[in-house]
Amino acid sequence: MRRSILFGGLLVGILPLVIAASAADTLLIKNGTIVTVTGPILKGGDLLIENGTIAKIGKSIQAPAGAKVIDASGKFVYPGLVAVMTAVGVTGYPGAGNDTDEVGVSTPHMDPYDAINPEDDCIEVTRVGGVTTVQTISGSASVLNGKSIVMHLAGDLAEDMVCKRYAAQIINLAAREQGKYPSTIPGVVALLKDKFNQTKDYVTKKKKQENGAGNTKGQDVGRGTSQPFKRNLELEALVPVLAGKVPVIFITYDEVTVRKAIEIIKEYKLQGVIQARDGVFKYHMGAALAAHGVMFAFDPGGWGPGNRNVRNLPVPAAISVAHGLSEEAAIKAMTINPAKILGIDDRVGSLEEGKVANVVIWSGSPVQLRSRVDTVIIKGEPVPLTSLQTRLYDKYSKLVKERIEKKKSGK
Amino acid sequence: MLKKLLVLLAGVMVLCTGTQAQDLALKGATILTITNGTIENGTIVIQRGKITALGQDVEIPAGVKVIDVTGRFVLPGIIDSHSHIALSDTNEATDPVTPQIWMREGLEPDSPQILTTLGGGVTTVKTMHGSANVIGGVNVTIKLKHNRPVEELIVPDVRQQLKMALGENPKRLYGTKGRTPSTRMGSAYVARKAFIEAQEYKARWDKYEKDKAGGKKDLTPPKKDLKMETLKMVLEKKLSIDCHTYRADEIVWIIEFCKEFDLDLIQLSHCVDGYKVADVMAEAGVFHGGWIDWWGYKEEAYDGCPYGFRIMYDAGVKIVINSDSPDEGRYLWRNAAKVLKYNNIPENEVLKMITLNAAESLELGDRIGSLEVGKDGDVAVFEKHPLDSTTKCLLTIIEGEIFFDYAKHSITAHGGSR
Repeated sequence: MRRSILFGGLLVGILPLVIAASAADTLLIKNGTIVTVTGPILKGGDLLIENGTIAKIGKSIQAPAGAKVIDASGKFVYPGLVAVMTAVGVTGYPGAGNDTDEVGVSTPHMDPYDAINPEDDCIEVTRVGGVTTVQTISGSASVLNGKSIVMHLAGDLAEDMVCKRYAAQIINLAAREQGKYPSTIPGVVALLKDKFNQTKDYVTKKKKQENGAGNTKGQDVGRGTSQPFKRNLELEALVPVLAGKVPVIFITYDEVTVRKAIEIIKEYKLQGVIQARDGVFKYHMGAALAAHGVMFAFDPGGWGPGNRNVRNLPVPAAISVAHGLSEEAAIKAMTINPAKILGIDDRVGSLEEGKVANVVIWSGSPVQLRSRVDTVIIKGEPVPLTSLQTRLYDKYSKLVKERIEKKKSGK
Repeated sequence: MLKKLLVLLAGVMVLCTGTQAQDLALKGATILTITNGTIENGTIVIQRGKITALGQDVEIPAGVKVIDVTGRFVLPGIIDSHSHIALSDTNEATDPVTPQIWMREGLEPDSPQILTTLGGGVTTVKTMHGSANVIGGVNVTIKLKHNRPVEELIVPDVRQQLKMALGENPKRLYGTKGRTPSTRMGSAYVARKAFIEAQEYKARWDKYEKDKAGGKKDLTPPKKDLKMETLKMVLEKKLSIDCHTYRADEIVWIIEFCKEFDLDLIQLSHCVDGYKVADVMAEAGVFHGGWIDWWGYKEEAYDGCPYGFRIMYDAGVKIVINSDSPDEGRYLWRNAAKVLKYNNIPENEVLKMITLNAAESLELGDRIGSLEVGKDGDVAVFEKHPLDSTTKCLLTIIEGEIFFDYAKHSITAHGGSR
């Protein structure tokens, strides 16, 4: 509905509806253990949500008229978890429904926003697991894979869900080709550097031509006339990366790819993030990174196939806590840290007044894999705790029971 | 000279048994027996590889090494009833019928995967042929005695299980090569044809053996066929079956098929749709051996449902959680905790899914899977309760011998970071 404001002509007609909607959006969570992440833990605390944002956190907050009150006694209130590397919204049904990984070793211009399916079953399955914000990537099988987007997991249209466009570029340093270039890691590195160098030339050329076009006499340097600049969408996607405006997430598998990533980040002065896939992630790593003051986030990739188990984000957190990381640091690595990495920490990742009201009420700490999610609030609105899987349960628990009863009575 | 050597060898052997079957007592722990409740501040004694005593007031016999595990949790060694660790190869993917393949021939007792899996408190696994073929190879049930000779790993005196596989994998693999099976119908035909041939083969051999026993002269034995030999063992119930299934229709189909040929179907692996036909599975007495929350990574896995465990539990299906992996056996206890996230099932019943139920699915319920006097001394010591996701395994003990010690092996088993 907020979108409607863009359409001036409709504004008046829609306004009363907007007011009605925002009145219903006032929620008061009462008497829970509020884990703010960035501030102290508040026991027996209340959290007020108005107009989609966290309005107030404190004790004994009076419920405004018409507010819906949620009792959180004995429960734990956390910010929605943030997952950094997912394919939620583009994985779809296996086969034709899958829109990840466009063909080609260099597809930095692919944008998952163009393929987001708000009806992807992954969305509900993920959010009822307590993950409310995800970065969706366009794939990971190419060297230069494409742009990513950040979404809140509620909304009927992709544009309702989006939190940030082009949040990062995704590079896989082990994406060798079979039988063609680049078939080795040095080949991958060379291809990448070529693309970056071409982008630099492209920027220079574009600037020159623009300057040339600005010349009233139509004089271009070295040429007589200015012609319309021929755009290259592939290189254009890398311009903000080389300008340091869009971070690069390097997918790494081992010591070699991690080292290469660091060298490239330094050489091209990139905003770099390293994703440690299975070969790099070790049980003791969380504690070691924390000890060295490295900012890190957990990532569900590799913890269940096909990236459909983003809800398992707490698994590496639990492992890390078992092997020396503090629970506090583990929670940060699923909330405020990923938000910082994605540049959305002004909006999500902690419970603070003024932030987007992505709030999840748990039966226990998220690092305990048995903890249940009791309430999920996204952008200030509770979402139903239903998914493909709860619907399957409803259908088959009934069917199986009926067949058993029928058999019993038949005997 | 020979005599001297023999004496020397005998001496070495005595020495070996002396160190291997170490008598051991763990004291001060919370003992989760699985079959007889929880013993607080308990002691467990293992002698000659077997549990000889457990309880609160247990006298530790002289000469038994005592480990103080006060405040820790002791549970039966975890069992992975569908593993792919410690194998040189997984799939003989050259023909849809390969029962002549025995996984014990490809065992690698020095595989680092064994140590990694031990690090998750696992003591016994059934390491399996893959799912390329409708009739794959014969799996092998092993104890994780890392770096010991193969024959010490293989669990003796237990039926091994033939791997079968239905659904997408065999039909994709052979279909794309223009071979049968390329459909589920083709897989059904391939399985039926193989077992009919095996019945004929068995009849030929039975007749020969009968004639021979009856004293007939000048008999020519039928031709030996290793494929048929294995299937004959299945018909004779010297081997049972573990079948890879996803869809509900396949689950019902294999249950019917095994009735038709009078085969012992023990476990349905993956069994992603098992909850949809929980009543059929319960009636057939077949184990569900699968994951808690894997879903959607392919079409036949799309209806994977973590809430389905409750449907199966209520219907009386025996549930086993396993890994189907060379790597993830170490996470079985963390996956057990997830069962509680999605289902109201008592904690001890959930722990059975990685211990006693798994033991029963291997027909080893009388030897492992719970802590009872007389059972094997296979024990995992955890820092905290095993359903606490932030705990870790400190010791993994097989028949009284420590094969994983967190203090010594953690960096190798779990990866170091310095």
